[in-house]
This record gives sequence, structure tokens and C-alpha cells, in this order.
Amino acid sequence: MAGNDTLPTGKRENMKKGQELRKNILITAGILGIAALIAFFLQQFVSTDTHVPLLFVLAVLFVSRYTEGYVYGIAASVMAVIGVNYIFTYPYFEINFALTGYSLTFIAMLAVSVSVSTLTTQIKQQELIRLEAEKEKMRGNLLRAVSHDIRTPLTSIVGSASGILDNENVLARERMLELIKDIKDEAQWLVRIVENLLSVTRINGENAHINTDDEIVEEIVGSAVVKFRKRFPETEIKTVMPQEVLMVPMDGILIEQVIVNLLENSVLHGKTASLIQIVVSSEPGRLFVAVEDDGEGIRENILPVIFDGNLQSREGEEYDSGRNMGIGLSVCMSIVKAHKGDMKAENRSEGGARVMFWLPMEENNGY
Amino acid sequence: MDIKDRVLVVEDDKSIRNFFRTVLEANNYDVIMAGTGTEAYSLITSRCPDVVILDLGLPDMDGMKILKNVREWSGMPIIVVSARTYEKDKVEALDLGADDYITKPFGTSELLARIRTAIRHARAACLAPEGIQTGIFRSGEMVIDYDKHRVYIDGRDAGLTQNEYKIVSLLGKYAGKVLTYDFIIKEIWGPNMRTDNRILRVNMANIRRKIEKNPAQPEYLFTEVGVGYRIVDPD
Repeated sequence: MAGNDTLPTGKRENMKKGQELRKNILITAGILGIAALIAFFLQQFVSTDTHVPLLFVLAVLFVSRYTEGYVYGIAASVMAVIGVNYIFTYPYFEINFALTGYSLTFIAMLAVSVSVSTLTTQIKQQELIRLEAEKEKMRGNLLRAVSHDIRTPLTSIVGSASGILDNENVLARERMLELIKDIKDEAQWLVRIVENLLSVTRINGENAHINTDDEIVEEIVGSAVVKFRKRFPETEIKTVMPQEVLMVPMDGILIEQVIVNLLENSVLHGKTASLIQIVVSSEPGRLFVAVEDDGEGIRENILPVIFDGNLQSREGEEYDSGRNMGIGLSVCMSIVKAHKGDMKAENRSEGGARVMFWLPMEENNGY
Repeated sequence: MDIKDRVLVVEDDKSIRNFFRTVLEANNYDVIMAGTGTEAYSLITSRCPDVVILDLGLPDMDGMKILKNVREWSGMPIIVVSARTYEKDKVEALDLGADDYITKPFGTSELLARIRTAIRHARAACLAPEGIQTGIFRSGEMVIDYDKHRVYIDGRDAGLTQNEYKIVSLLGKYAGKVLTYDFIIKEIWGPNMRTDNRILRVNMANIRRKIEKNPAQPEYLFTEVGVGYRIVDPD
């Protein structure tokens, strides 16, 4: 696993192709083999041969369904026709093209294979289109949220800076420092937004593909906490980790971003949050990370749409006060989804919010 | 008159040059500027700066090329600045011999800290020849005793194994600087080790369990995700 990580992408792609080829050939051979076995078995007990072509039509159908493209289905039907002719129809172990109905069987098999392959390919394409549409929607949501999120701090930066330049002689020193501090804070907002956008670009276009490495969970959590501390030194963070070393395949930078986003949300939107807790736990095949705070919690009416990314545009008055909540969480969601995990947000019964995500990992983990 | 450390800033963007000059001069550095790679190269050879801050995106050449060229004949501290965010760029720059890496945007305190660390390293490397490491490294409650080959935490022996001690002392030798996985693996297990960093990661996890109070909130050993490890600066 970790050994693969050092392979260049091209080589890895080739390997993947080779694997796919092998898999398809194996499926084809396996299904035909099973059909032949059953036919052979039945031959011992049943005197007629009528079931044999039917059996192989069925085999061809399965081959077309479970392999990629048309090639394997057609190959299977050709093999099946010849095989049926050679082995299972009288005269046995001889090719005899003069058999009645022979061409009909062949055409039927070909037709089954081609139409099933077409159907399978169509279904796959539709799935792709659906995914594409979903991604388009996500991108649209993100863009909307971002353009608003960027405009607000920019307005403040431009305003404060020109305010200082134009009124240099009139402004009191404290007032001026205040404006400069605003500029710095707003610029830092922009940095945060850009970091989130960059994260999204790391998730490769096509099928939300990410490059995963085995990462040690405590390193990612630790690094996220260090980053967060730089920005919010006053907030207390507690971490609850299992004692064993957990190695989980992930894009470490992205998961770190998710944790940082969740921590920042707790401070910025939990408002009264004084203690934030990161709770890591695992069950066979899954890693859970939860960020809990003791702040105000999340209002019930926004809980169902919290990961949608266009929170603010729906929430009239939240529009200005609660910025970046939407983009942060929707970025988190797309990162976690790209890892084939999921996220959940809820209010804790003892007050405050809990946002958690899980990632898939190998069953036997622990060193 | 005191002697100021001379910093060469290689950067083509006007407002960032402005910012570098203001901050560095305010902090008592002698600042020289280069806007292109060729200019930078001639200033490096003629003015012998104490530290170079090198932007990787230059109009006339890739900053990595300058880095490579300078490293052929000089070990002067070079801090690479880049807007590129992918870790593999950081790893490449560090493996090519950059002393440190700083990603845009950064704050002034971060910048000044990196410059101080880089200069201190260069000085220390002059005093202690390569490979020989004696004395004691102390930071907070952690002590590395290079003579006894032991690491103590809260005054107690942390009980590191041979390899674990080697890793910690290597990090200690380059305190404050990020060491890439490959670099550490080559130094500890030799150049023929398969480039699989899993063994290093597991070793680090064990070290953290022996040294850190809470492995998820490190005080001494930090992870730079996707790049490598760094130990805290000594007191």
C-alpha cells in the first residue's frame, strides 16, 4: 500500500488498466467455466441437449453484465457457440456447422450480449452524468458562497485602506491602528477562504479522485491543533485519542483542513465556546473524528441544510454575521465524501454542537 | 556601529518587496534586493549575504535552479518562499538543500523567526563540524544528552530504542528545521532502504508515546503533514 504511493501516476494508471483487464478476463472465463460445468453435469442425467444453448445464453448475459464494454460479451458468445457445438451437441467433440438452428443460436447469443452490454454501458454513463450534475451543483453552491464571502472582507479592506490614506492628518492614532487591524483581520479571512478553495482543487475533477497515503491519525490531529492554536491561542482544546497507533489512508492535508475548519467553526459560530474537544474513536473498518464544543449550538432550522454551502443566501439575517460557515462545512463535506466517508452535525444534549465525520479504513489496524 | 546580518531578498512583486524591506530594515537587517534570477545570482556571488530569501516564481528562471546552483558551492542559508501549496514542492526544495520553506501568505513574526533559525543553524554548522554532536539539547522538560545517547523527559530516561534515539538526535541536530521523510530514512537506515516511510512513521508514533504527554497535542515533535518532521527550538 504505502509502497504504491511512490509510483509515478502514469505507471499506476497502467497497473490499474492491467488489473482491470485481468479482472474482466477472469470474470468471463469463470462464468463460462461454471456454465460448462453445469452443462457437463446435466449431460450425465438428462438425455436431451436443449438446455445447453439456454445455459450458455444465460452465461453470455452475465458476462456482458459484469464486464466493461462489448468485447468480453462478444468473445464469450463466440466461445460459447463454438464450445456448445464442439462439446455439447451431437456429434460430440466435432465441429459441425450444418446443425439445424445453429446460426439462430449464434445470432441469439450475439444479440443478447450486445444488448446487455449496451444497457450496462448506458447505466454506467447515466451514473457518470448524475455524478457530474451533482458536482456541478456543488461547484455552483460553492462559487455563490465564495463570491459573497470574498466581497465582504474586500469591501472592508479597500474601505479601511483608503480611509487611512485619505484622512491621514485627521485620524487619531488609535483610530488608524484600529483600521489597520481590521485590514489584517479581513485579509486573514481571505486567506482562510483561499485555503478552502485550494483544498477543493486538490480533489481531482473526474470522479472526485484523491491521492491517499497511510497517515497516522494523531499526526494529522496534532498538526491541525498546532495550526489552530496559531490563530486562536486562547481557546482550550482537549483531545481524546485511542491509545493504539491508527494508520488510515487519507489525503492528510485535506483531512487536516477539515479538522481546522471544524475547530474554527466552533469558535466563530459557537460564540460562547470555551472548551473544544476532538474525540477520535474507531470501530472495525471506520475511523470517527468528532469536534465538540460547549458553545451556543446549531439552530435546529439550519441543521438539515448545514452542509449545503448556500446557507447564508437562505438565511436572510445571517447573511452578514455568519459568513464562511457555509463554505467551510460544504468543503469539509466534499473532502470527506471524496474519501468515501460521511459527516453529521448535531447538538449535544449537554449544550453545544458536535460535528463528526468518519473515514473508511482497513479492518486490522494497530501497531 | 554593530554589524548587521545581510539578507538578500529575491522577489519580483513590487508590494511584497516593499513589505520585506520595511519589515527587515525595521528589525535591524541589512537588506539587498534582486528582482530576477540573474541579478540574484550575481548578488549572491558578489555580496555574500548571510541569508537568502528566495521566491520560487521568478520572471526569468525557476527559483529551484538558483537553489541547485548555489548549493553546488555554498551552504549559505536559503529560505524558499512560494505560493505553491503542494507538499511535493516543499519536499523538493528541502531535498535540494533549502534550509527552510515558507508559504505565502505568511506573517512577519513567522518570517523573522525563520530567518533567525536559519542564521543560527549556519553559525552552529560552522562551529561544530559535520557529524560530531556533543553536549546537551534542552527544550522545556525534554533533554537530549548526545554524550550518553539518552533522551530524558521530566528528568526520567524516556527509554528510547537505538533507532528512536537516532531519529530524535537527528531532529535535534537540525532543531527548528523540517526534515523530510526521505532525508531521515537515508540518515537512519542508509541509502538502500526502500522509500517506504511507514517504518519511520511507526517509529515516530512510538517516540511520541514515550516523550509527549499527549501525542495528539505535541509539545516537542511536530508533524508537517506530507513533508516531514520538526523538533521544537531549544531553549
